[in-house]
Amino acid sequence: MKRSLVNTYFLMALVCLIPLQAHAMHIGEGMLPASWSIAWGVVCLPFVLYGFRSIGKRVNATPKVKILLAMCGAFAFVLSALKIPSVTGSCSHPTGVGLAAILFGPTITSVLGLIVLVFQALLLAHGGITTLGANTFSMAIAGPIVSWLVFKGLKKVNVSTAVCVFFAAALGDLATYVVTSLQLGVVFGGFVKFLGVFALTQIPLAIAEGLLTVVIFNILEKYSKTELQELEVV
Amino acid sequence: MGTDRYAYASRLRRMDPVAKILFCALVLGVCLCCGGIAPGLATLLMMGLLSVFWGGVPGKVFLKFLTVPLAFLALGCLTIVVNAHPQGTPVLAGLSVGSQVWGITRDSAFQGLAILSKSLGAISAMYFLALNTPMTDVTLGLQRLKVPQLMIELMDLIYRFIFVLWDTAAAIRTAQDSRLGYTGFRRSISSLGSLSSMVFLRAWNKADAIYSALESRGYTGSLATMAQTYQPGKTCYLIAPAVGFVQLLCCWLEVRYFG
Repeated sequence: MKRSLVNTYFLMALVCLIPLQAHAMHIGEGMLPASWSIAWGVVCLPFVLYGFRSIGKRVNATPKVKILLAMCGAFAFVLSALKIPSVTGSCSHPTGVGLAAILFGPTITSVLGLIVLVFQALLLAHGGITTLGANTFSMAIAGPIVSWLVFKGLKKVNVSTAVCVFFAAALGDLATYVVTSLQLGVVFGGFVKFLGVFALTQIPLAIAEGLLTVVIFNILEKYSKTELQELEVV
Repeated sequence: MGTDRYAYASRLRRMDPVAKILFCALVLGVCLCCGGIAPGLATLLMMGLLSVFWGGVPGKVFLKFLTVPLAFLALGCLTIVVNAHPQGTPVLAGLSVGSQVWGITRDSAFQGLAILSKSLGAISAMYFLALNTPMTDVTLGLQRLKVPQLMIELMDLIYRFIFVLWDTAAAIRTAQDSRLGYTGFRRSISSLGSLSSMVFLRAWNKADAIYSALESRGYTGSLATMAQTYQPGKTCYLIAPAVGFVQLLCCWLEVRYFG
Protein backbone atom coordinates (compact mmCIF):
# COMPACT_ATOMS: atom_id res chain seq x y z
CA MET A 1 0.00 0.00 0.00
CA LYS A 2 2.66 2.44 1.08
CA ARG A 3 4.81 1.44 -1.87
CA SER A 4 2.05 2.12 -4.38
CA LEU A 5 1.31 5.46 -2.71
CA VAL A 6 4.94 6.49 -3.17
CA ASN A 7 4.72 5.42 -6.78
CA THR A 8 1.55 7.41 -7.33
CA TYR A 9 3.17 10.52 -5.92
CA PHE A 10 6.14 9.87 -8.13
CA LEU A 11 3.93 9.69 -11.21
CA MET A 12 2.02 12.81 -10.18
CA ALA A 13 5.27 14.71 -9.71
CA LEU A 14 6.35 13.69 -13.19
CA VAL A 15 3.08 14.83 -14.73
CA CYS A 16 3.30 18.17 -12.92
CA LEU A 17 6.66 18.80 -14.49
CA ILE A 18 5.39 18.69 -18.06
CA PRO A 19 4.28 22.35 -18.18
CA LEU A 20 7.75 23.32 -17.02
CA GLN A 21 9.06 22.69 -20.50
CA ALA A 22 8.95 26.43 -21.13
CA HIS A 23 12.69 26.96 -21.41
CA ALA A 24 13.72 23.42 -22.12
CA MET A 25 15.67 24.54 -25.16
CA HIS A 26 18.21 26.32 -23.03
CA ILE A 27 20.65 24.29 -21.02
CA GLY A 28 20.69 25.98 -17.62
CA GLU A 29 23.65 27.65 -15.96
CA GLY A 30 26.09 25.15 -14.46
CA MET A 31 24.37 22.06 -15.86
CA LEU A 32 27.32 20.95 -17.96
CA PRO A 33 30.74 20.00 -16.58
CA ALA A 34 33.59 22.43 -17.23
CA SER A 35 35.17 20.26 -19.93
CA TRP A 36 31.98 20.12 -22.01
CA SER A 37 31.27 23.81 -21.50
CA ILE A 38 34.64 24.65 -22.99
CA ALA A 39 34.37 22.01 -25.71
CA TRP A 40 31.08 23.40 -27.03
CA GLY A 41 32.51 26.89 -26.92
CA VAL A 42 35.43 25.75 -29.08
CA VAL A 43 33.05 24.03 -31.51
CA CYS A 44 31.10 27.29 -31.92
CA LEU A 45 34.18 29.41 -32.46
CA PRO A 46 34.76 28.86 -36.20
CA PHE A 47 31.07 29.46 -37.02
CA VAL A 48 30.89 32.65 -34.97
CA LEU A 49 34.21 33.93 -36.31
CA TYR A 50 33.07 33.29 -39.86
CA GLY A 51 29.83 35.12 -39.14
CA PHE A 52 31.78 38.01 -37.67
CA ARG A 53 34.00 38.33 -40.69
CA SER A 54 31.07 38.37 -43.07
CA ILE A 55 29.24 40.97 -40.95
CA GLY A 56 32.42 43.03 -40.71
CA LYS A 57 32.80 43.02 -44.49
CA ARG A 58 29.21 44.13 -45.02
CA VAL A 59 29.45 46.84 -42.37
CA ASN A 60 32.55 48.23 -44.03
CA ALA A 61 30.79 48.33 -47.37
CA THR A 62 27.57 49.94 -46.02
CA PRO A 63 27.56 51.33 -42.46
CA LYS A 64 23.77 51.14 -42.35
CA VAL A 65 23.96 47.36 -42.09
CA LYS A 66 25.17 47.63 -38.51
CA ILE A 67 22.04 49.47 -37.39
CA LEU A 68 19.79 47.10 -39.32
CA LEU A 69 21.47 44.03 -37.88
CA ALA A 70 21.25 45.43 -34.37
CA MET A 71 17.51 45.96 -34.87
CA CYS A 72 17.21 42.39 -36.14
CA GLY A 73 19.03 41.14 -33.06
CA ALA A 74 16.73 43.09 -30.77
CA PHE A 75 13.76 41.73 -32.72
CA ALA A 76 15.04 38.17 -32.18
CA PHE A 77 15.32 38.82 -28.45
CA VAL A 78 11.80 40.25 -28.18
CA LEU A 79 10.39 37.43 -30.31
CA SER A 80 11.97 34.80 -28.07
CA ALA A 81 10.51 36.48 -24.99
CA LEU A 82 6.92 36.34 -26.29
CA LYS A 83 4.69 33.56 -25.10
CA ILE A 84 3.51 31.18 -27.78
CA PRO A 85 0.46 28.95 -27.25
CA SER A 86 0.97 25.26 -27.77
CA VAL A 87 -1.47 22.66 -29.03
CA THR A 88 -1.29 20.84 -25.70
CA GLY A 89 -2.44 23.94 -23.83
CA SER A 90 0.87 24.67 -22.20
CA CYS A 91 2.77 27.78 -23.04
CA SER A 92 6.26 28.29 -24.29
CA HIS A 93 8.46 30.72 -26.14
CA PRO A 94 9.19 30.61 -29.84
CA THR A 95 12.86 30.08 -30.59
CA GLY A 96 12.78 32.30 -33.65
CA VAL A 97 15.42 29.97 -35.07
CA GLY A 98 13.59 29.36 -38.33
CA LEU A 99 12.54 32.94 -38.98
CA ALA A 100 16.00 34.32 -38.28
CA ALA A 101 17.65 31.73 -40.51
CA ILE A 102 15.25 32.41 -43.39
CA LEU A 103 15.49 36.18 -43.10
CA PHE A 104 19.17 36.67 -42.31
CA GLY A 105 20.89 33.43 -43.33
CA PRO A 106 22.85 31.14 -40.99
CA THR A 107 26.11 33.11 -40.88
CA ILE A 108 24.57 36.29 -39.51
CA THR A 109 22.19 34.35 -37.29
CA SER A 110 25.13 32.72 -35.52
CA VAL A 111 26.47 36.08 -34.33
CA LEU A 112 23.09 37.62 -33.53
CA GLY A 113 22.08 34.41 -31.76
CA LEU A 114 25.19 34.51 -29.60
CA ILE A 115 24.46 38.07 -28.48
CA VAL A 116 20.79 37.33 -27.85
CA LEU A 117 21.78 34.33 -25.74
CA VAL A 118 24.14 36.49 -23.65
CA PHE A 119 21.30 38.90 -22.97
CA GLN A 120 18.87 36.10 -22.20
CA ALA A 121 21.33 34.64 -19.72
CA LEU A 122 22.10 37.92 -17.97
CA LEU A 123 18.72 39.66 -18.14
CA LEU A 124 16.24 36.80 -17.94
CA ALA A 125 18.30 33.88 -16.55
CA HIS A 126 17.38 31.68 -19.50
CA GLY A 127 20.43 29.62 -20.30
CA GLY A 128 23.70 30.67 -18.77
CA ILE A 129 27.18 32.02 -19.20
CA THR A 130 28.87 28.68 -18.63
CA THR A 131 26.53 26.89 -21.05
CA LEU A 132 26.72 29.68 -23.61
CA GLY A 133 28.76 27.54 -25.98
CA ALA A 134 26.37 24.60 -25.91
CA ASN A 135 23.31 26.82 -26.27
CA THR A 136 24.87 28.81 -29.08
CA PHE A 137 25.65 25.63 -30.94
CA SER A 138 22.14 24.20 -30.67
CA MET A 139 20.14 27.41 -31.11
CA ALA A 140 22.29 29.77 -33.14
CA ILE A 141 24.21 27.32 -35.33
CA ALA A 142 22.70 23.84 -35.74
CA GLY A 143 19.03 24.88 -35.76
CA PRO A 144 19.44 27.78 -38.20
CA ILE A 145 21.61 25.72 -40.57
CA VAL A 146 18.94 23.01 -40.71
CA SER A 147 16.20 25.61 -41.22
CA TRP A 148 18.11 27.35 -43.95
CA LEU A 149 18.97 24.12 -45.77
CA VAL A 150 15.37 22.93 -45.59
CA PHE A 151 14.12 26.29 -46.86
CA LYS A 152 16.57 26.46 -49.75
CA GLY A 153 16.08 22.79 -50.60
CA LEU A 154 12.30 22.95 -50.71
CA LYS A 155 12.46 26.23 -52.62
CA LYS A 156 14.49 24.49 -55.28
CA VAL A 157 11.91 21.76 -55.86
CA ASN A 158 9.24 24.44 -56.30
CA VAL A 159 7.12 23.94 -53.23
CA SER A 160 4.89 26.87 -52.24
CA THR A 161 6.56 29.41 -49.96
CA ALA A 162 4.20 28.72 -47.06
CA VAL A 163 5.13 25.03 -47.04
CA CYS A 164 8.84 25.87 -47.27
CA VAL A 165 8.58 28.26 -44.35
CA PHE A 166 6.54 25.85 -42.24
CA PHE A 167 8.95 22.96 -42.63
CA ALA A 168 12.02 25.16 -42.27
CA ALA A 169 10.77 26.59 -38.96
CA ALA A 170 9.36 23.35 -37.55
CA LEU A 171 12.37 21.23 -38.50
CA GLY A 172 14.81 23.91 -37.31
CA ASP A 173 13.02 23.90 -33.97
CA LEU A 174 13.17 20.10 -33.80
CA ALA A 175 16.83 20.05 -34.82
CA THR A 176 17.59 22.44 -31.99
CA TYR A 177 15.96 20.19 -29.46
CA VAL A 178 17.59 17.04 -30.82
CA VAL A 179 20.97 18.74 -30.46
CA THR A 180 20.09 19.87 -26.92
CA SER A 181 19.10 16.31 -26.01
CA LEU A 182 22.33 15.07 -27.53
CA GLN A 183 24.35 17.58 -25.53
CA LEU A 184 22.72 16.48 -22.30
CA GLY A 185 22.72 12.81 -23.28
CA VAL A 186 26.44 12.74 -24.03
CA VAL A 187 27.21 14.03 -20.56
CA PHE A 188 24.63 12.27 -18.42
CA GLY A 189 23.88 9.19 -20.52
CA GLY A 190 20.52 8.28 -21.95
CA PHE A 191 20.18 10.35 -25.11
CA VAL A 192 16.91 8.55 -25.91
CA LYS A 193 15.55 9.41 -22.48
CA PHE A 194 16.12 13.14 -22.97
CA LEU A 195 14.73 12.90 -26.47
CA GLY A 196 11.62 11.18 -25.15
CA VAL A 197 11.02 13.68 -22.36
CA PHE A 198 11.45 16.65 -24.66
CA ALA A 199 9.45 15.09 -27.50
CA LEU A 200 6.32 15.11 -25.35
CA THR A 201 5.97 18.84 -25.60
CA GLN A 202 8.45 19.82 -28.23
CA ILE A 203 6.71 18.34 -31.25
CA PRO A 204 3.48 20.30 -30.71
CA LEU A 205 5.62 23.36 -30.04
CA ALA A 206 7.53 22.87 -33.25
CA ILE A 207 4.25 22.70 -35.15
CA ALA A 208 3.01 25.84 -33.40
CA GLU A 209 6.22 27.64 -34.21
CA GLY A 210 5.99 26.48 -37.83
CA LEU A 211 2.46 27.87 -38.15
CA LEU A 212 3.45 31.12 -36.45
CA THR A 213 6.39 31.59 -38.76
CA VAL A 214 4.16 31.04 -41.79
CA VAL A 215 1.75 33.72 -40.54
CA ILE A 216 4.61 36.14 -39.92
CA PHE A 217 6.16 35.43 -43.27
CA ASN A 218 2.87 35.87 -45.14
CA ILE A 219 2.31 39.30 -43.60
CA LEU A 220 5.89 40.34 -44.27
CA GLU A 221 5.63 39.20 -47.86
CA LYS A 222 2.44 41.19 -48.31
CA TYR A 223 3.47 44.46 -46.69
CA SER A 224 7.21 44.64 -46.85
CA LYS A 225 8.42 43.28 -50.14
CA THR A 226 11.04 46.02 -50.35
CA GLU A 227 12.50 45.24 -46.92
CA LEU A 228 12.68 41.56 -47.74
CA GLN A 229 14.44 42.38 -50.98
CA GLU A 230 16.82 44.62 -49.11
CA LEU A 231 17.52 41.74 -46.75
CA GLU A 232 18.70 39.65 -49.65
CA VAL A 233 21.37 42.29 -50.05
CA VAL A 234 22.14 42.49 -46.32
CA MET B 1 13.46 44.46 -17.50
CA GLY B 2 14.62 41.40 -15.58
CA THR B 3 17.77 41.87 -13.59
CA ASP B 4 18.64 45.19 -15.16
CA ARG B 5 16.22 47.22 -13.06
CA TYR B 6 17.99 46.24 -9.86
CA ALA B 7 21.46 46.63 -11.31
CA TYR B 8 20.93 50.37 -11.68
CA ALA B 9 19.99 50.63 -7.99
CA SER B 10 22.88 48.51 -6.76
CA ARG B 11 25.48 49.93 -4.39
CA LEU B 12 28.20 48.33 -6.50
CA ARG B 13 27.02 50.02 -9.64
CA ARG B 14 29.92 52.46 -9.73
CA MET B 15 32.52 49.78 -9.19
CA ASP B 16 34.88 48.95 -12.03
CA PRO B 17 32.96 46.43 -14.21
CA VAL B 18 36.16 44.59 -15.15
CA ALA B 19 36.68 43.65 -11.51
CA LYS B 20 33.12 42.35 -11.21
CA ILE B 21 33.34 40.39 -14.45
CA LEU B 22 36.62 38.75 -13.43
CA PHE B 23 35.27 37.99 -9.97
CA CYS B 24 32.15 36.39 -11.45
CA ALA B 25 34.23 34.41 -13.95
CA LEU B 26 36.55 33.08 -11.25
CA VAL B 27 33.70 31.99 -8.98
CA LEU B 28 31.83 30.41 -11.90
CA GLY B 29 34.92 28.57 -13.05
CA VAL B 30 35.80 27.18 -9.63
CA CYS B 31 32.18 26.24 -8.93
CA LEU B 32 31.95 24.39 -12.23
CA CYS B 33 35.23 22.56 -11.82
CA CYS B 34 34.58 21.50 -8.23
CA GLY B 35 31.15 20.02 -8.74
CA GLY B 36 29.74 18.35 -5.66
CA ILE B 37 27.08 19.46 -3.22
CA ALA B 38 29.07 21.46 -0.66
CA PRO B 39 30.95 23.80 -3.04
CA GLY B 40 27.72 24.59 -4.90
CA LEU B 41 25.80 25.42 -1.76
CA ALA B 42 28.75 27.40 -0.37
CA THR B 43 28.91 29.43 -3.58
CA LEU B 44 25.17 30.02 -3.45
CA LEU B 45 25.39 31.21 0.13
CA MET B 46 28.43 33.43 -0.37
CA MET B 47 27.30 35.06 -3.60
CA GLY B 48 23.79 35.50 -2.23
CA LEU B 49 25.07 37.20 0.90
CA LEU B 50 27.48 39.36 -1.08
CA SER B 51 24.72 40.48 -3.43
CA VAL B 52 22.32 41.25 -0.61
CA PHE B 53 24.61 42.80 2.01
CA TRP B 54 27.36 44.25 -0.15
CA GLY B 55 25.44 45.07 -3.30
CA GLY B 56 22.23 46.05 -1.53
CA VAL B 57 19.97 43.87 -3.66
CA PRO B 58 16.80 43.18 -1.63
CA GLY B 59 16.89 39.62 -0.30
CA LYS B 60 13.41 38.91 -1.59
CA VAL B 61 14.43 39.96 -5.08
CA PHE B 62 17.45 37.69 -5.06
CA LEU B 63 15.33 34.74 -3.95
CA LYS B 64 12.68 35.53 -6.53
CA PHE B 65 15.26 35.53 -9.28
CA LEU B 66 16.68 32.23 -8.00
CA THR B 67 13.32 30.57 -8.56
CA VAL B 68 13.21 31.63 -12.22
CA PRO B 69 15.57 28.96 -13.52
CA LEU B 70 14.70 26.59 -10.68
CA ALA B 71 11.70 25.09 -12.44
CA PHE B 72 13.73 24.20 -15.47
CA LEU B 73 16.62 22.96 -13.34
CA ALA B 74 14.31 20.65 -11.43
CA LEU B 75 13.11 19.15 -14.69
CA GLY B 76 16.61 18.75 -16.05
CA CYS B 77 17.83 17.11 -12.87
CA LEU B 78 14.85 14.80 -12.69
CA THR B 79 15.53 13.63 -16.22
CA ILE B 80 19.07 12.85 -15.17
CA VAL B 81 18.01 11.18 -11.95
CA VAL B 82 15.27 8.89 -13.25
CA ASN B 83 16.70 5.85 -14.97
CA ALA B 84 15.63 2.42 -16.11
CA HIS B 85 16.91 -0.35 -13.86
CA PRO B 86 16.45 -4.12 -14.04
CA GLN B 87 13.62 -5.46 -11.90
CA GLY B 88 14.60 -5.81 -8.25
CA THR B 89 17.02 -2.90 -8.02
CA PRO B 90 16.55 -1.05 -4.73
CA VAL B 91 14.95 2.25 -5.73
CA LEU B 92 13.81 5.14 -3.54
CA ALA B 93 10.76 5.68 -5.72
CA GLY B 94 9.86 4.21 -9.04
CA LEU B 95 7.42 2.57 -11.39
CA SER B 96 7.50 -0.89 -12.87
CA VAL B 97 7.40 -0.79 -16.62
CA GLY B 98 7.50 -4.27 -18.15
CA SER B 99 10.67 -5.99 -17.00
CA GLN B 100 12.26 -2.76 -15.81
CA VAL B 101 11.88 -0.32 -12.99
CA TRP B 102 12.00 3.37 -13.85
CA GLY B 103 13.04 5.20 -10.76
CA ILE B 104 15.51 6.97 -8.55
CA THR B 105 18.28 5.09 -6.80
CA ARG B 106 20.39 6.38 -3.97
CA ASP B 107 23.35 7.09 -6.24
CA SER B 108 21.38 8.88 -8.90
CA ALA B 109 19.58 10.99 -6.28
CA PHE B 110 23.00 12.02 -5.04
CA GLN B 111 24.14 12.84 -8.55
CA GLY B 112 21.00 14.91 -9.13
CA LEU B 113 21.51 16.85 -5.92
CA ALA B 114 25.12 17.52 -6.86
CA ILE B 115 24.12 18.92 -10.25
CA LEU B 116 21.32 20.96 -8.70
CA SER B 117 23.56 22.59 -6.12
CA LYS B 118 26.34 23.14 -8.63
CA SER B 119 23.86 24.88 -10.92
CA LEU B 120 22.45 26.99 -8.12
CA GLY B 121 25.96 28.05 -7.19
CA ALA B 122 26.74 29.00 -10.77
CA ILE B 123 23.44 30.88 -11.10
CA SER B 124 24.08 32.87 -7.95
CA ALA B 125 27.53 33.84 -9.24
CA MET B 126 25.97 34.97 -12.52
CA TYR B 127 23.29 36.90 -10.61
CA PHE B 128 25.95 38.69 -8.61
CA LEU B 129 27.19 40.17 -11.86
CA ALA B 130 23.76 40.68 -13.44
CA LEU B 131 22.12 42.27 -10.38
CA ASN B 132 25.01 44.63 -9.64
CA THR B 133 26.15 45.69 -13.10
CA PRO B 134 23.98 47.43 -15.69
CA MET B 135 24.39 45.96 -19.16
CA THR B 136 26.10 49.07 -20.53
CA ASP B 137 28.82 48.63 -17.91
CA VAL B 138 29.14 44.94 -18.76
CA THR B 139 29.77 45.76 -22.40
CA LEU B 140 32.29 48.42 -21.39
CA GLY B 141 34.04 45.88 -19.20
CA LEU B 142 34.10 43.39 -22.06
CA GLN B 143 35.57 46.08 -24.27
CA ARG B 144 38.39 46.58 -21.80
CA LEU B 145 38.87 42.82 -21.77
CA LYS B 146 39.61 43.05 -25.51
CA VAL B 147 36.40 41.63 -26.94
CA PRO B 148 36.22 42.76 -30.62
CA GLN B 149 34.85 46.25 -31.17
CA LEU B 150 32.16 45.13 -33.62
CA MET B 151 30.73 42.69 -31.07
CA ILE B 152 30.66 45.40 -28.40
CA GLU B 153 28.92 47.88 -30.69
CA LEU B 154 26.35 45.32 -31.77
CA MET B 155 25.69 44.42 -28.14
CA ASP B 156 25.27 48.06 -27.15
CA LEU B 157 22.92 48.77 -30.02
CA ILE B 158 20.88 45.60 -29.55
CA TYR B 159 20.56 46.31 -25.86
CA ARG B 160 19.19 49.79 -26.55
CA PHE B 161 16.83 48.59 -29.28
CA ILE B 162 15.42 45.79 -27.13
CA PHE B 163 13.64 48.30 -24.92
CA VAL B 164 12.21 50.20 -27.87
CA LEU B 165 10.80 47.04 -29.45
CA TRP B 166 9.72 45.63 -26.11
CA ASP B 167 7.44 48.61 -25.51
CA THR B 168 6.00 48.33 -29.01
CA ALA B 169 5.35 44.62 -28.60
CA ALA B 170 3.79 45.09 -25.15
CA ALA B 171 1.44 47.80 -26.43
CA ILE B 172 0.29 45.68 -29.38
CA ARG B 173 -0.12 42.69 -27.09
CA THR B 174 -2.35 44.63 -24.70
CA ALA B 175 -4.43 45.95 -27.58
CA GLN B 176 -4.88 42.47 -29.02
CA ASP B 177 -5.59 40.93 -25.65
CA SER B 178 -8.28 43.48 -24.83
CA ARG B 179 -9.99 42.56 -28.12
CA LEU B 180 -9.94 38.84 -27.23
CA GLY B 181 -7.09 38.17 -29.60
CA TYR B 182 -5.70 35.33 -27.54
CA THR B 183 -8.73 33.13 -27.02
CA GLY B 184 -8.15 29.79 -28.65
CA PHE B 185 -5.19 28.38 -30.48
CA ARG B 186 -5.97 29.59 -34.02
CA ARG B 187 -6.60 33.14 -32.97
CA SER B 188 -3.54 33.20 -30.74
CA ILE B 189 -1.30 32.11 -33.58
CA SER B 190 -2.71 34.68 -35.98
CA SER B 191 -2.54 37.47 -33.38
CA LEU B 192 1.00 36.57 -32.46
CA GLY B 193 1.92 36.39 -36.12
CA SER B 194 0.64 39.86 -36.87
CA LEU B 195 2.27 41.17 -33.70
CA SER B 196 5.65 39.74 -34.64
CA SER B 197 5.54 40.96 -38.21
CA MET B 198 4.44 44.44 -37.13
CA VAL B 199 7.25 44.59 -34.59
CA PHE B 200 9.64 43.56 -37.34
CA LEU B 201 8.35 46.29 -39.66
CA ARG B 202 8.55 48.89 -36.91
CA ALA B 203 12.06 47.75 -36.12
CA TRP B 204 13.04 48.10 -39.74
CA ASN B 205 11.56 51.58 -40.07
CA LYS B 206 13.07 52.65 -36.81
CA ALA B 207 16.48 51.44 -37.92
CA ASP B 208 16.03 53.51 -41.08
CA ALA B 209 15.15 56.61 -39.06
CA ILE B 210 17.99 56.09 -36.62
CA TYR B 211 20.44 55.67 -39.44
CA SER B 212 19.26 58.89 -41.10
CA ALA B 213 19.57 60.71 -37.79
CA LEU B 214 23.06 59.34 -37.22
CA GLU B 215 24.19 60.06 -40.75
CA SER B 216 23.07 63.67 -40.53
CA ARG B 217 25.26 63.98 -37.44
CA GLY B 218 28.33 62.66 -39.17
CA TYR B 219 28.13 58.92 -38.49
CA THR B 220 30.88 57.08 -40.30
CA GLY B 221 30.49 53.62 -38.90
CA SER B 222 31.34 53.69 -35.22
CA LEU B 223 29.56 55.06 -32.19
CA ALA B 224 32.11 56.43 -29.76
CA THR B 225 30.88 57.30 -26.28
CA MET B 226 32.71 58.59 -23.23
CA ALA B 227 33.33 56.01 -20.55
CA GLN B 228 32.13 56.80 -17.05
CA THR B 229 34.57 57.01 -14.21
CA TYR B 230 34.42 54.04 -11.91
CA GLN B 231 35.57 53.33 -8.40
CA PRO B 232 38.53 50.98 -8.49
CA GLY B 233 37.54 47.38 -7.82
CA LYS B 234 40.13 46.71 -5.09
CA THR B 235 37.63 45.13 -2.70
CA CYS B 236 36.48 42.81 -5.44
CA TYR B 237 40.02 41.63 -6.10
CA LEU B 238 40.46 41.05 -2.35
CA ILE B 239 37.22 39.12 -1.91
CA ALA B 240 37.67 36.99 -5.02
CA PRO B 241 40.52 34.79 -3.73
CA ALA B 242 38.74 34.40 -0.38
CA VAL B 243 35.57 33.14 -2.05
CA GLY B 244 37.58 30.87 -4.32
CA PHE B 245 39.44 29.50 -1.33
CA VAL B 246 36.23 28.69 0.56
CA GLN B 247 34.87 26.93 -2.52
CA LEU B 248 38.00 24.81 -2.87
CA LEU B 249 37.99 24.10 0.87
CA CYS B 250 34.40 22.87 0.69
CA CYS B 251 35.30 20.71 -2.27
CA TRP B 252 38.27 19.22 -0.42
CA LEU B 253 36.24 18.60 2.74
CA GLU B 254 33.48 16.91 0.79
CA VAL B 255 35.86 14.62 -1.03
CA ARG B 256 37.78 13.88 2.18
CA TYR B 257 34.84 13.05 4.42
CA PHE B 258 32.00 12.07 2.13
CA GLY B 259 33.82 11.05 -1.05
